Amino acid sequence: MTRARITMLLVLALAACSAPPPRPDLLSPTEEQTKLRSFQTRTFDVVERQVAMRAVLGVLQDLGFIVERANEPLGLITAARFAEPNFSDVVAVTVTVRPVEGGQTMIRANAIHNNRPVTDPEPYQRFFAALEKSLFLTKG
Amino acid sequence: MRAPVCAALFVFGACETPKQVPFELPPDSALHRVSETRVFETKDPGELMSASAAVLQDLGFHVEESVRELGFLRAAKERSAREHGQEIWRAVTLVLSFGKFLMPIGLEQKIAATLVARPADAAGARWEVRIVFYRVVWKGDGQSNDQYLQAGQQSMAMVRDPVVYEQFFRKLSKAVFLEAYTL
Repeated sequence: MTRARITMLLVLALAACSAPPPRPDLLSPTEEQTKLRSFQTRTFDVVERQVAMRAVLGVLQDLGFIVERANEPLGLITAARFAEPNFSDVVAVTVTVRPVEGGQTMIRANAIHNNRPVTDPEPYQRFFAALEKSLFLTKG
Repeated sequence: MRAPVCAALFVFGACETPKQVPFELPPDSALHRVSETRVFETKDPGELMSASAAVLQDLGFHVEESVRELGFLRAAKERSAREHGQEIWRAVTLVLSFGKFLMPIGLEQKIAATLVARPADAAGARWEVRIVFYRVVWKGDGQSNDQYLQAGQQSMAMVRDPVVYEQFFRKLSKAVFLEAYTL
C-alpha cells in the first residue's frame, strides 16, 4: 500500500516537471506581429537589388554596425554591434532586400537587443530615414 | 497618501537605465566616414577587392567573409590584449583596496575590419572603398570582496585613429597603382 502511494507521488511529481504542451496558436500571427512587420518594412523606388544592398551596407557602417554576413542572391544582410553606454549589450539586425512588382524593392529590418526583439517603431524609423538618405546619395 | 506613491515612483525612476535607441546616427558619423573612405578612379572593382584582401593579409588579417557581388570583405586577427599599464593599475587597485578588489584586465583581443566597395558614380568609373576597424576585448577573471568575477566579459571599441586608416589606404593605393582620393 505504502509502495503504491510512493509510486503515485513520484508519478505526480514527474508530471509536474514536464513542460506544458505548445499552444495550438503558437505560429499564428498576432495583431502585434502584424503591426511590428509594418514598421519593420519599407518599400523604395530602387530597381536593382545590389544598389539597395550596398546602401544598406553603407548605412550599417554609418551606424557603427559590424556586418557579419551578406548574401547577395538571397538579399540577406546580418550585422551586430555592442551598444552604448557600456559596450557589453548586443544589438543585432537582420535586413532582407526583396524586389517587388513595379520596379520597387522592399526592405525589411528586424533588430534584437540582448536576444529580445526591438518592438519600438522609433529605431526602425531612424534606420529607414538613414537608408533613404543613403539611397538618394547612391543614386545621385 | 500621494507622498509615498510619489516617493516610490521617484525611487524607481532613479533605477531606470537611460533608454537606448538603436540605429541612432552618431553625431560624428560624417567625420568618421571621411577618414574611413577613399575614392579610386578605376573601372575594375574586382582588382580593388583582391588588392584590399591582399593588403589585409599583409597586415596579418585573415579574411573570414567575402561577397564579390556586394564588394564586401570581413577580416580579423587575434592578438594578446595584455598591457603593462593595466597590470600596474591592477596591482595598485589591489593594494589600495587592501586585497579586496582584483580588477579584471583584457587578456585577448580580436582586431577586425569590414570593407565595402561601392560605385561612386553611375558610370562605375570611380569606386569608393570604406573600411571600418574595430576590436573586441575579452577580459580575464577578478575578485570583488567575496564575489568572484568570471572571465570572458567582452567589450568592443571602434578604432577611430585616422592614422590607422591612412596607413591602410596608402598600402592599398600602392597595391592597385592608383591614387586614393578623400571624399
